[in-house]
Amino acid sequence: MESRKPPPSALVDNHVVPGDIVLDLTEMINQTIKLGAGLRQDCDTIQATSAGKLRLSKPSKYWIESSQKRYIPSVEDTVLGVVVDTKPDNFLVDIKGPNLAFLPVLAFEGGTRRNIPKFEIGTLIYARVVKANSIMNPELSCMDATGKAAEFGQLKDGYMFETSTGLSRMLLSSPTCPVLEALGKKLSFEIAVGLNGRVWVNAPSPSNVIVVSNAIIKSESLSGIGQRSMVESLLERLS
Amino acid sequence: MEHQRWRPTVNERDFIERALQSDLRVDGRRPFDFRRLKILFGREDGSAEVQLGETRVMGYVTAQLVQPYKDRPNEGTLAIFTEFSPMADPAFEPGRPGESAIELGRVIDRGLRESRAVDMESLCVVAGRHVWSVRVDLHILDNGGNLIDTANIAALAALSTFRRPECTVGGDDGQQVTVHDPEVRDPIPLTIHHLPIAVTFAYFGEGNIMVIDPTYKEEAVMGGRMTATINSNGDVCAIQKAGGEGVMSSVIMQCLRIASVKAADITSKIKNEVTSYTSAKALQKVKRLPASVLKKDSVPVVAMKGSADGALETQSTKASSEVQQISKGDEDHQNIKRNSSLTVDRTSKHKQTSKFIGGPSNWDPYSKGVSLSSLRISQLPEPPPTVKDNKQEDVEPMLTECNPEVQSESRLTAGGSDETQAVSPKSLKDAVKPKHKRKKKQHNKS
Repeated sequence: MESRKPPPSALVDNHVVPGDIVLDLTEMINQTIKLGAGLRQDCDTIQATSAGKLRLSKPSKYWIESSQKRYIPSVEDTVLGVVVDTKPDNFLVDIKGPNLAFLPVLAFEGGTRRNIPKFEIGTLIYARVVKANSIMNPELSCMDATGKAAEFGQLKDGYMFETSTGLSRMLLSSPTCPVLEALGKKLSFEIAVGLNGRVWVNAPSPSNVIVVSNAIIKSESLSGIGQRSMVESLLERLS
Repeated sequence: MEHQRWRPTVNERDFIERALQSDLRVDGRRPFDFRRLKILFGREDGSAEVQLGETRVMGYVTAQLVQPYKDRPNEGTLAIFTEFSPMADPAFEPGRPGESAIELGRVIDRGLRESRAVDMESLCVVAGRHVWSVRVDLHILDNGGNLIDTANIAALAALSTFRRPECTVGGDDGQQVTVHDPEVRDPIPLTIHHLPIAVTFAYFGEGNIMVIDPTYKEEAVMGGRMTATINSNGDVCAIQKAGGEGVMSSVIMQCLRIASVKAADITSKIKNEVTSYTSAKALQKVKRLPASVLKKDSVPVVAMKGSADGALETQSTKASSEVQQISKGDEDHQNIKRNSSLTVDRTSKHKQTSKFIGGPSNWDPYSKGVSLSSLRISQLPEPPPTVKDNKQEDVEPMLTECNPEVQSESRLTAGGSDETQAVSPKSLKDAVKPKHKRKKKQHNKS
């Protein structure tokens, strides 16, 4: 296709579909590039294997961002997981991925053999992916890189709902996503967004939780202005 | 990896129950609201796709001739088949029908069959020999909760649009069954006496709280469930209460009252959708009519048809052919006004006589593909002679009783007008003549 383009690829920040040739390696001698999700090397070319937006992180990290219901774990993502089973060494956690994730019982701040947390099945956990490769179960941790709890851990009360990965990425984007900004002006609530397409919302009254969660679900296909007007009309109807 | 039914987190379970305490539901509905219902129909008769919120079910109806059951020799059969695809919900296993699949099929089957919603005796062709066996296939496309209600609506919508081919009994022994092609004879709809609507209630917290049309999440949390199948008259056709928490009889009575209101709503919704679909379908058939008529008729008629289109479209084909005959008189006037010379007038006369046998010529199979606009342009000048020839050929074999009369009359008047021109300007004959004849005469004079 457009293989004669010099690096960085002209397709950066554009939509690509599977089969698109993203980069031509013959023109990039003595360079190192890192490939992320949705890209594959085929002889001298880099091809897309999934549909979405091509992203480049300077200087040389490429990946494709797409919106889907399933989640492919990748390192340093923050996710919301549900405890499915407890084993002596690990909690088995569902993070909507192809495999269950392991959460070592010691991966908590100040975790020792003595003070293992007790999670019943169905507990919602906010965690960080620390190991992710295709042949092993991913591994989670409830500590940040410095060993602090840093908001990770069990989420109590509130309501959790599922979205697409694209919507959860939009909610985490900066500057703050319009729907959250508009809601935050009128209501007070707590929110935790996992990149695996799960969102947890908590507020003092159940009606606020319902309003916030429905506003977020509806905002998926709306523009910034559309999101603001949708939130305003929703809040007007309530008051 | 074994797939179990999705289990809610502790947070969701607690929140859904806590919100329901204050009559709130997680999707913003009130306890007795249905989700948005959308009914779509397929290209073929007897297929419908129903969306209730995020739940999607497709219904497809087929029929074939079979031998009836021994104990009911003069009744057709109706069978419901369900297909739970793992694409709809990972909890559905491919192949073997699960517990919920069997329950769903049986609840819908009971509602439709026990209440005798579909007239079975009209499906009989030859008693004891041939009856129609109607098969309803329900495909679950997406499971967003409340599959029973959605599947039931899909089955009803598909059955209401289904048309079975017409068949006649004949032959030497009077036992030969001929199934007519749908192109030859219009297929016949099923006789449906009433629409039994399933309304599902979910009970929470020791049966104190109840909601209608539970979502996927609510179904995972609920303590019990009851499905009442009820029609718009308020007749209870079936009730299904399988396990779960016990419910007071007073609560059940209350549920039935609510269900009858909801059933009336849904019945009208289904009926509206079905009538709009069938009228759209009928419209497609009628649309062919103007094109086929155009080819046969002369110019002024084109104009007439164009203006009368709107009225014609809403009517059935039979009615439209009547309208055409009624409008003959007006066309007559127009023809004569426009054509000044007597010869042309005469040719148009012939055309009119040929048009009196017009009934079958409306359905000329050769003119189907001709577009309306191209005809209008090509036929604006005087009608080409080939068309005229066709007309006269048509006239010969298909003369009706009125036809020769009219033809002879036209010859007579044509001759008569010559005479009157020669002898005197006015006679008794003139007074008897219809209005347009007089006009024509004036033209001749000038």
